[in-house]
Amino acid sequence: VTVQRRVFVRGVGAFTPLASTWRATAAALADGACAIREITAFDARGFPCRVAAAIDEAFAEEDRRLPYARRAAEEAWQMACVAPDPDRFGVFVGAESGRGRWQTVLGLARAARGNSGTFDHAKFAREAAAFATRIDASVLSPSAVAVTLAQAYSAHGPVETVSLACASGSAAIVEAARAIRTGECDVALCGGVGADVDPLMLAGFGLLGILSASGVSFPFDAHRDGFVVGEGSAMLVLSAEPATGSVELAGIGRSLDAHRLTAPEPSGDGAARAMAAALRDAGVSDVGYVQAHGTSTPLNDRIEVAAIRSVLGAAADRAHVSSSKGALGHWVAGAGALGALYAWEAVAHGVVLPTAGLTRPDPVCNVAHVMGQALAKDVSAALANSFAFGGANSCLVLRRTA
Amino acid sequence: MTIAVTHTATLVGPVDEAPLANPRARKMMSRAAYLAARCLAALVGQTGWSDRERIGYFLGVGASGGSLTDVSELLERGVAACNPLLAFQLMNNFTMCHGAILEGLGGPNAALFSRGAGTIAALAEAMHAIESGDCEHAITGGADEATHPVTVAELTREGFIGRGLVPADGAGLLALAHSDDRDATIIEGCAHASGRGRPLVEALDDALARASASSAPGDRGVRASAPPSVTSIVISAWGPSAAGALRSFATERFPSATVIDTSGQRECLAAGPALAVATAVEHLRGARGRAVVLSLGVDGDPGVVVLSRGAA
Repeated sequence: VTVQRRVFVRGVGAFTPLASTWRATAAALADGACAIREITAFDARGFPCRVAAAIDEAFAEEDRRLPYARRAAEEAWQMACVAPDPDRFGVFVGAESGRGRWQTVLGLARAARGNSGTFDHAKFAREAAAFATRIDASVLSPSAVAVTLAQAYSAHGPVETVSLACASGSAAIVEAARAIRTGECDVALCGGVGADVDPLMLAGFGLLGILSASGVSFPFDAHRDGFVVGEGSAMLVLSAEPATGSVELAGIGRSLDAHRLTAPEPSGDGAARAMAAALRDAGVSDVGYVQAHGTSTPLNDRIEVAAIRSVLGAAADRAHVSSSKGALGHWVAGAGALGALYAWEAVAHGVVLPTAGLTRPDPVCNVAHVMGQALAKDVSAALANSFAFGGANSCLVLRRTA
Repeated sequence: MTIAVTHTATLVGPVDEAPLANPRARKMMSRAAYLAARCLAALVGQTGWSDRERIGYFLGVGASGGSLTDVSELLERGVAACNPLLAFQLMNNFTMCHGAILEGLGGPNAALFSRGAGTIAALAEAMHAIESGDCEHAITGGADEATHPVTVAELTREGFIGRGLVPADGAGLLALAHSDDRDATIIEGCAHASGRGRPLVEALDDALARASASSAPGDRGVRASAPPSVTSIVISAWGPSAAGALRSFATERFPSATVIDTSGQRECLAAGPALAVATAVEHLRGARGRAVVLSLGVDGDPGVVVLSRGAA
């Protein structure tokens, strides 16, 4: 049964390195603020990149994903003013795994390591039990965030966790929209969270050579040299019922590059197919704003711009483009949801937020950039892109309701 | 639209390290990614589908987990000693993406974290992608590495191991396509329901109702009286006590059906429900009837998949 109901954004919220709400974050971003600075949470000397857009506030919970997501959800929920039937209310979150305490992980690693350096199952069975009590699933499981939010908001409908790397947040919004469209639920709390300013991910990304050696995130700039890790959470409340002035989530599109793990398909075909699918789904061919994935890596930005031009054609000249990662870094699993909020801000308030750090656009990234401060523009439809390591692409189209 | 399971591929437990089409890729794979890639290669080969750029791929995945050897190298000896490919092991979507890259799948996709129900959600997503025209063919299922040390410790802490769960690595994939063939094994509906804060029977009834509602209107759906009746129930549960609860539910709701309990197999977490669906497909082969898969993973959220053959 394919019921196709429309989907409306009733509320948005975020918890970011700049502020504890999206409202305050958007105001700071509009003025050109940037949250990237030296890492202080741990000794980052020796790591390939020593800066990040990190949240300084301390929390009692070991899993930082939970307070981040909870704060973002609170703001979105208050704005939404909805009272759904619990059985018709779902939660969809983009998240990757959390991190255990280093001592526990190290203990497990030592327990597993035999004399030859390989995994010794018998030794592990003998020694790992002592560590079992220290492994908290709420810290490790990607699903902990969605389950925690579902419990907090009494959601008894579908609860799903999308783990699609950098496209997780966007893909979670896609799942939520699909569930509302088909009548699986009436209201969805959805979005993403990233908390990857930690040694494991900094080492992992750094060793791949994709982090900025200069310590600056400036998407589309001629001097860009990699991304900077960020963290935070962005959440939306979607509903089948609009409110006055609601923005519609009108289009969703997904594709796989099927090319390489760390590099996009050179022609941008995979990204273009996802963008085209979202635009086709929304029934629009012209958008006033593109929230680019814009990671600040030399290859990705160039390919994304080429894909935007191939999909929009002449309409690309009428679309302004910016990326959240200049100011807030790359939230990985949360990035796509943050991008959706940028697009929402443009459609709902006519405020196109800038790409922080961008001062000298690369000629091969030839689009209408938003630099310095926010641009006031009447945007009736916006496209938000998310492209993941591994080649998964997820795109959203937000549109002003008639 | 009628959606059929055209082919299945499964791998469970100790599996020989057969080479992949690109052997170098193995170094970057978690165990789950490797099993998924092998299943995918086998499945795509069976189907003969040529439109690989448009094939959808929706997978329930576990937490891939880094190799503890690599993690300990990082923690004890520093960044320089760390495997430069560590990031690939840490991201859960790579369980799906490795295989997709090797096989050239380019359609709509999602990797849903699963301790059971996420795999049912992946199946629902795949069906929707076909129904909505996003793709003509889709592959869905799950893959997991339940023997990963951190996962074992997690399952131990939560008491599952002590209550009889036997962890295993595995992958189960299903090929889905629209079909008008009367002999095809079709999926009538699938759904999962929240098991939080309510009795399991209530959650199972909810999932059953949602699965019925997701099937086409009229003479189909598990609550409809039209033939064929439910002939078999396939149970996928994380261990003996969960299996017992599902068996009781099945016996009460479908007293004339044969119950096939797959919980004696080892628990593959995200792969479990897909392996059960593959079992149901096999059971329906050569016969007319309806099979209901009941799954209950360690997340506590029950899932229901309704399949039939010869119902058209």
